[in-house]
Amino acid sequence: MKRFLVFIWILLTSGIYPQSLDFSGYLRNYSGMRAGNGNTDFVILQNTFSLNMEKNMGGSAFKINTMLYHNGSANDSILFKLREAYLDLYFDKFDIRIGKQQIVWGKADGVFITDIVSPKDLYEFLLPEFDEIRIGVTGIKLNYYLGDSGFELVWLPVFNPTNSPEQNSIWYPSSGLNLAAAPDLSKQNVAASLKNSEIFLKYSSLTGVIDFELMAGYTWDDDPAMFFSMTPGPSGISLTVNPEYKRISLAGGSLSSTLGPLVIRSEAAYYFGKYFNTANPATDNGTIVKDYIHYMLGADFMLWNINFSAQYIQKAIIDYEPVIISNNLFNGQYSDMVTFLAKYSMLNETLNLELFTYYDFEFDDSLIRPRVLYDYSDSINLQFGANIFTGEKGQFGQFDKNDMIYGKIIYSF
Amino acid sequence: MKTLRLITFLVALLVVNTNEFYPQKLTGFQIMEKVYDRPEGNDMTSDLTMTLKNDSGDERVRKIKQFTRDFGTMEKKIMFFVSPADVKNTSFMNWSYSRQGQDDDQWIYLPALKKTKRISSESKSDYFMGSDFTYDDLGDRQPNEDSHKLLKEEKYNSDDCYVIESKPEQLDYMYSRTVSWVAKDKWIVLKKEFYDEDGDLLKTLTVKKFENISGILVVTHTEMKNVQKNHQTIMDLKNVKIDSGIEDSKFTERIMTRGL
Repeated sequence: MKRFLVFIWILLTSGIYPQSLDFSGYLRNYSGMRAGNGNTDFVILQNTFSLNMEKNMGGSAFKINTMLYHNGSANDSILFKLREAYLDLYFDKFDIRIGKQQIVWGKADGVFITDIVSPKDLYEFLLPEFDEIRIGVTGIKLNYYLGDSGFELVWLPVFNPTNSPEQNSIWYPSSGLNLAAAPDLSKQNVAASLKNSEIFLKYSSLTGVIDFELMAGYTWDDDPAMFFSMTPGPSGISLTVNPEYKRISLAGGSLSSTLGPLVIRSEAAYYFGKYFNTANPATDNGTIVKDYIHYMLGADFMLWNINFSAQYIQKAIIDYEPVIISNNLFNGQYSDMVTFLAKYSMLNETLNLELFTYYDFEFDDSLIRPRVLYDYSDSINLQFGANIFTGEKGQFGQFDKNDMIYGKIIYSF
Repeated sequence: MKTLRLITFLVALLVVNTNEFYPQKLTGFQIMEKVYDRPEGNDMTSDLTMTLKNDSGDERVRKIKQFTRDFGTMEKKIMFFVSPADVKNTSFMNWSYSRQGQDDDQWIYLPALKKTKRISSESKSDYFMGSDFTYDDLGDRQPNEDSHKLLKEEKYNSDDCYVIESKPEQLDYMYSRTVSWVAKDKWIVLKKEFYDEDGDLLKTLTVKKFENISGILVVTHTEMKNVQKNHQTIMDLKNVKIDSGIEDSKFTERIMTRGL
């Protein structure tokens, strides 16, 4: 780590880098305090340095994006992340991108339906900016263009699952299962091999009437399936949980269009072969395989100079059986959620007021995120906000004790 | 007989050439049509710098590289934001149509989200990047969207101008009226006053400089002052190229996401 920091420092100060190399990024101070329930602990005291290095050579280009996190609330620990490092090759009708890259698909905001190529980094749940939630994936992306339409083929030789927080983190999720023993993680790895690689294909078109995407993927479920095994012993039968990543396929699409003052958006995917847990650990290791549909209907519009965005999201398990037990993401056959965003700009867009909310009907839980953003100058942005969790169960309610107020100062260059 | 023929000839000559000797006075609508139809070239590339000044004298600077091309029934425009740093690599694409009543199509690419989003073009009263220009101020408003009246003719700086008052046909338009000073021989609006819904002066646009580039008159320096907020935006165009032959493929999502 120290060597890397020294290297970056020398690179930035010595002037040995190529003159046309483009540097950009930001320095951010981020402080968050838990509020309510008698908590006043500073759970976030973070300094972040993000550095982009880019060079465009006409027929080719490269980009490197690094992040350095200093966590003052965790014994001054330093974490380095290489978010992206890729090379682009441009041809007349097609482009190739090779390396570690973030890939974003779909039209939904804040929910992941067809946007599953890049897995999520949930070290701080869904609270970081969305570009920080996505993990760069190593692979090859080929784009073939036909005017305003085109194909995108992605091949990933290495599977990257969702990055979960450490067990001692306040964002460590509840599994939704009553586990007496720690999971056996011995089967959790997926070796990098041709057989285990992932492949995605997308056709997209952008026209005056409608924008749409059609996609399919043969991938791994980013969240492991939980297999139960029962072992007889001297003190009775013990239950062990073996998390294991399983293959999953999906096909779907998304679209957006304008209808007068409205922008209409929709996205849907059909997932083939998802492992769900059952109430009977003795049968099929407590699992059952089902297909499910995940879709979103949304609209963006403006009223009283306020930009609004609303989305309705539903997951439906096909051929549902009551033996399936709930977890934080599925509660019964149907799981319904809405998101809502309101944004108001004032003082020539230097002051922005924002409210973003998730509400889950099944668990009656929500995450409410008011935020004030102020551009102190062209380079310095100040933010103050709150993250309010309501409910007791579900993906938001489980963090009911993590209500938080926070402030950020961001210097961009 | 000869005298009669001469008289007949002179009368005929007079009838035929009345319009040339005594040209009909242009109406406000015809003048604004000439402004709208002024040649702009088939395509244009330029570097735009917007300097925003508030009442305390604080300045903010936005730099944009922009490309425009006329495709006959539609005009396509793509803009790449160069600075400030937090919007760098953001791009914006607009397709506007000559067919009356057809709304523009607009997209914005947000590099942090790595997403191209379709946005509504209905909110033309929105201010562009925090400046004093609305999206409508920046576009070519069709003459038939307003009723025009020639108020007077007068000199503005050294140019002979028509002074035209324009009132919107649409009732809920953001301005109750505008008054434009149109240079007679150039068909350029040299000054424009914008009045709010209460009829009070809101903003004044002044053209400080225009240049002849490849035979086309291009406005290269304008200032828009919001007199109610005491806020000002200065627009400078540099490196202007006309009819350089911008390819169709420039105006695609591929280029929006790839950038300059």
